[in-house]
Amino acid sequence: MTMPIIEDTATARLWKRPRLPVGRFGLIVGAAIIAAILFAALLAPWIAPHSPYDQSLTNRLIKPVFMDGGSWNHVLGTDHLGRDYLSRLMFGARLSLMIGFGTILMSALVGIGLGLAAGYFGGRVDLVVMFLLTVRLSLPIMLVAISLVGLLGNSLFLMMVILACFLWDQFLVVTRSLTMRFRDAEFVQAARAAGLSDRKIMISEILPNLVSPLVVVATLEMAHAILLEAALSFLGLGIRPPDSSWGLMIAEAKDFVFFEPWLVNVPGLAIFILVAGITFLGEGLRSLYAPDGSR
Amino acid sequence: MVNPLMRGVLAIVAAGLVLLPVTALAGKDDDTLVAAFQAKLPSLDRYHAPGREGFLLGLLAYDALVYRDPNTFELKPLLATAWRQVDEKTWEFDLRSGVKFHNGDPMTAEDVAYSLSYAADPVNKVFNRMTGGWIERVDVVDPLKVRVVGKQVTPLALEYLLQLPIEPKAYREAVGIQGFAEKPVGTGPYKISGGSGNDVIFTRNDDYFEGGGKSKPAIKTLVYRAIPDVNTQVAELIGGGIDWAYYIPVDQAGKLKMMPMVDVINAETFRIGFLTLDAAGLSSPDSPLKDLRVRQAIAHAIDRDALAKTLVGGASKPIASACTPSQFGCIADVTQYGYDVEKAKALMAQAGFADGFDIDIYGYRSRPVAEAIIGYLNAIGIRANLHWMQYSAVIQQRRDHKTPIVIDDFGSAGINDVGAILPFFFAESPDDQSRDPAVTAAIREAGSTADPEQRKALYAKALKRIADEAYWTPMFSMPVNYVMSKDVTVPVPADENVEFWRATWK
Amino acid sequence: MASYIARRLGLAVLVMLTISFLSFLMLKMSGDLAISMAGEGSGADYVEFLRKTYGWDKPLITQYWDWLVKALQGDIGTSFYYGSPVMTLIVERMPATLALGAMAIVMALCTAIPLGMAAGRYPGRLIDKVALLVALLGVSTPIFWLSFLLILVLGLQFAVLPISGGGSFRHLIMPAMALAFYSMPAIIRISRAGMIEVMRSDYIRTARAKGLRPHRIYLGHALRNTLVPVVAVASVQFGFLLGGSVVVENIFAIHGIGYLTWEAINQNDYPVVQAALLAVSAAYVVLTLLADIVNMMIDPRIRLD
Repeated sequence: MTMPIIEDTATARLWKRPRLPVGRFGLIVGAAIIAAILFAALLAPWIAPHSPYDQSLTNRLIKPVFMDGGSWNHVLGTDHLGRDYLSRLMFGARLSLMIGFGTILMSALVGIGLGLAAGYFGGRVDLVVMFLLTVRLSLPIMLVAISLVGLLGNSLFLMMVILACFLWDQFLVVTRSLTMRFRDAEFVQAARAAGLSDRKIMISEILPNLVSPLVVVATLEMAHAILLEAALSFLGLGIRPPDSSWGLMIAEAKDFVFFEPWLVNVPGLAIFILVAGITFLGEGLRSLYAPDGSR
Repeated sequence: MVNPLMRGVLAIVAAGLVLLPVTALAGKDDDTLVAAFQAKLPSLDRYHAPGREGFLLGLLAYDALVYRDPNTFELKPLLATAWRQVDEKTWEFDLRSGVKFHNGDPMTAEDVAYSLSYAADPVNKVFNRMTGGWIERVDVVDPLKVRVVGKQVTPLALEYLLQLPIEPKAYREAVGIQGFAEKPVGTGPYKISGGSGNDVIFTRNDDYFEGGGKSKPAIKTLVYRAIPDVNTQVAELIGGGIDWAYYIPVDQAGKLKMMPMVDVINAETFRIGFLTLDAAGLSSPDSPLKDLRVRQAIAHAIDRDALAKTLVGGASKPIASACTPSQFGCIADVTQYGYDVEKAKALMAQAGFADGFDIDIYGYRSRPVAEAIIGYLNAIGIRANLHWMQYSAVIQQRRDHKTPIVIDDFGSAGINDVGAILPFFFAESPDDQSRDPAVTAAIREAGSTADPEQRKALYAKALKRIADEAYWTPMFSMPVNYVMSKDVTVPVPADENVEFWRATWK
Repeated sequence: MASYIARRLGLAVLVMLTISFLSFLMLKMSGDLAISMAGEGSGADYVEFLRKTYGWDKPLITQYWDWLVKALQGDIGTSFYYGSPVMTLIVERMPATLALGAMAIVMALCTAIPLGMAAGRYPGRLIDKVALLVALLGVSTPIFWLSFLLILVLGLQFAVLPISGGGSFRHLIMPAMALAFYSMPAIIRISRAGMIEVMRSDYIRTARAKGLRPHRIYLGHALRNTLVPVVAVASVQFGFLLGGSVVVENIFAIHGIGYLTWEAINQNDYPVVQAALLAVSAAYVVLTLLADIVNMMIDPRIRLD
C-alpha cells in the first residue's frame, strides 16, 4: 500500500500558487487587460502601423515617441534591425497568447483526463496517475524543455507540446480532488442507477461542476507558459526569427539592456502586464467561486 | 507596525550588503590581467582546442618552430633558430638549444617530430587538419635538427608550421591525451598553473628563452575567464571586474567608447563573413540550393552595404569574392550581385519557387547579423529556420552534411594568402559544400605550385568560378572591437592573435 | 516509522528508475552515438566497431540495462566535447548550482515567511498589499530582466557586489537574489494562509484570554503551524531552483549544472545533457525524500497514513 504516501508527497509537493487578496476589483482589471491585449493581437494585421518583418538597417534603434528623438511614425521606436517596435509588439502578442492558449488547451486535456480517471476510479488507476505526477514533478522543467527543443528543433507547435507535457500537474490535482468529492454524490449515484456509462458520468455529470476552479488553474498556468517561452527564447531556443514573441523581443534586445533599456523594458513591461492581468483574472475568478477563501 | 522578525532579517541583510567590501579581482595592484572570452576552452591541448581561443592558447602556453609578427607578418625564429629548404618538398630546421618545457624537460628534435607527426595523422583528429595534413614525415637528423617532408610542394608550409605547437613527447605519452588536456605543458611565455570554474590561470614563465620572436611577459598573471553573455562582459568592463575583452558588438562598443574607464579599438583583421550554401545537395538530394538561380537570388537578397555599415560597423566593408581582400591571390573582379530584391524574387520565380521554401540555417557568431539575414531571406520568400549553436557544433554539423546554409566567418588563421581559406572551404575538404571538380582542380594545383604568378592565375580561376556559380554568398570584412581597461596596454594585432605577453600596465 | 521510510524510499527509487529510462530514451533520440563518437571522416567499419564495443546494436531494453549497470558503478558515459568522463563534469559542476540554490532558498525563506506572516496577521492592510505586489512581481517578472536590473543597480550603480563568476560567497548573492525572487510567491502564500488559520483558531483566543502577549503567540503558533507545508514547499522550490538556474547561471557566468547543460545542448553533447538532467532530478528526489522524513518527525500524524 504505497498509494497514500504518493498522494501525500505529490499533493504536498505541488507549487501552491499564491492566493492573493484581489477580489472583484482584480477581476475587472484583469479582464480589461486581457481584453485589450487580445484586441491588439487579433486585429494586428489591420491596425499595426507597419509590417513586423520590414527591416531597414538605416532606420535602426529609433527612439519611441515619449523619448527625445522619437516620432509618431514609429510610436514605440524601431528595433536593432529597424523594424517597427509597436507592430512587432502587436504581432508578438499573437504568438505569446497562442503559446499560452495552445499549451493550456493541451495540458488541460491531459491533466483533466488523468484527474477524472484517478478521482473516479481510485485504486490502481489513481496509484498509476499519482506515480506519473510524482515523476513529472521530479523532472526539472526548464532543463528538459531546453534539451528537447535543442534536440528536436524549435517549431512553435513542438514548443507548445513540450510545455504542455509539463504544465498539467495543477489540472490533475484540482480535478482529482474534486472528482473524489463528487464521486459518491447523490446526482452521480442517480446517474449510475440510470445506467449511464462511467465515461458519460465523468464527462457530463462531474466535469461541469469543475469548470470554474479549472478556469482559475488555466489562467495561472497560462502565465507560467508565457514566462517559460520567454526564458526559452532568451536562451535562443524559443520562437524562431523573424517571427516575434514578447520573449523573443526581449531576447533580441538584451544586448541593449544597459544602453537602450527601453528596448528591453517595452516587451518586459508587456509581459508583466499580461501575466499580472491573467493572474488578477484568475484570482478574481477564484474569489467569486470561493468567496470565503476556502479551496 | 512591522513584524519584529522581519525587522531583524532586514537588518541582517542590509548589514551583510554593507559589510561586504568589494575587492577588485582584476588589475594592476596584484599584477593580474583578466581577459574575458565567450567560450570555455574544452581542452587545454592546443591540438584539440577549437577556434580563435585555441589559437591564443597555442601562443600563450606553447611555441611553434617559427613565429609570425602579428602586425608586419614577418616570419621570425622561435623554437627553430634557422631554417632552409633542402628541396622543394623538404624543410630543414635548426632547433634552439637550452629550451625547457614548463616541467623542466628539455625540448629536443624528438618532441618536434612527435608533435608534428601527431598533427599530421588524421586518426588523431586535431582541430585544424589543414595545418598538419600536408606533412608526409618528420626526420630527426640530430638532437637539434629536424627535416619536415611534405606530401607535395606546399607553398604555405611555414605558415602552417607556425600554428603547430611543440609538445613534450615523454610527458604527453605518460599522462595520456586526456591527462595532457587538463594539465598541459608547453614551452610558451605563460605556464598554465591551474583553473577553477570558468577561469584558466596563466602564470609567467620566468625561464622563458630570449632571442625568439616572443618575449618574457611583463604581467605576471593572466586569467582567461569564460563569460558567455556579452552584456555581462560589458558590465564587467565598466565595473572593472575584467581588463580586456574582444568581439564586442558595434552597438555596445560605440557606447563603451564614451566611458572614461575603457579604451575601444576597432582593428582590421583577416576575418570575413559569408554564407556557405549546400550547392552539392549534401544535406538533401533535392535541396533548392542546388539550383544556381536560387543561390544567385540569395546573393541578390542581402544588403551587404547596410550590414557592413550598421551591424558589423567600424571599418567593415562589403566583399564580393570568397577571400580577404588583402590576401595574396584574392581578386575582387568577379561576378557582382548587388542588393536587388526584385531581381532576387524574379530568380526565385524562374527556379520554380515563387512561393519560397523552408530551409535550415545555422549560425554561431552574431545573433543580430543572423536575424538580419533571416529577414532578408524572408523578404524573397525563403523561410529560414535558425539553429543557434556554438562554433564547433555548427562546423561539426556541416561536416556531417546537415547544414543547407551556414552563417559563417573565417579568419584565415591570419595567413595573408588565399591558400589559407580556399582549401578549407573547397577542394573536397570536409567543409566543401559545392564539390565542384573545376574549383577543386584549380585549388589543388595552386596548392602544390611554387610559382607565384601561376598560383595567382589558378586561384583567380577558382574564385571566378565560385562567384559565377554563387557557391558562397560573401558578405563583409569583419574588424574586431577590442575593449580594454585604461590601466593596461594590450597591443592590438592585425590578425587577431593577441599577444598578452606584450601587455603592460600604464 | 521505519516502514514509512522504507516505502518512501521505494517510491524514490522507482521514480529515479523511470526518469533514468526517459533520459536514456532522450539520449537515444539524439542520434547515432557511434557516428558522433567516431567523428567525421571515419570509416564505416570503425563506426560498426564502436557500435559493437558499446553494445549499441542490441535491443533497446538490453542497452538500457547495460547502461544502468554502468551508471550504478558511476560510469555515465564520455563527453563528446570535453572528452572527459561525464561523471567528472557533473561532480565538478554540481557544487556551484547547489550552493546557489541553497542560498536562494534561504533568502526566499528569510524574506517570504515574515512577509507572508505579517500579511496574514493584518489582512487587507498595507503590509498585505505589499505582499501581494511582491508575489505578483515574483510570478510575472522574466528572470533575465531582473538579473540585468540587479547587475545595473548592485553591480554598477552601487558597485557593492561582483558581477560575474562564482569564485566566492559574494559572487552568488546577486544570482541567488534573482532566483529567490522567483520562489517567494509560493512561500508568501503558504505562510500567509498559515497565519490566517492560526488567527482564527481557538487556542489563540484561549491564549489571549489567559493574557499571554500576542506577538509571542502568533509567532510561536504560526511558525509551528506553517512549518510542515513550508518544509514541503521549500524542498520543491529548491528543486525548481536547481533546474531553473540555467538562465541565471548563463547571465552571471556561474560554473554550474545549468550552464553546463546549456553549453552541452549548444555543442550537441547529449551524454552530458542526459547526465545533467539525471543529476538535477536525483537532487530533487533526494531533497523531497529528506523533507518528507523531516516532516514526519515534526508531525507524527503523517506516519499514521
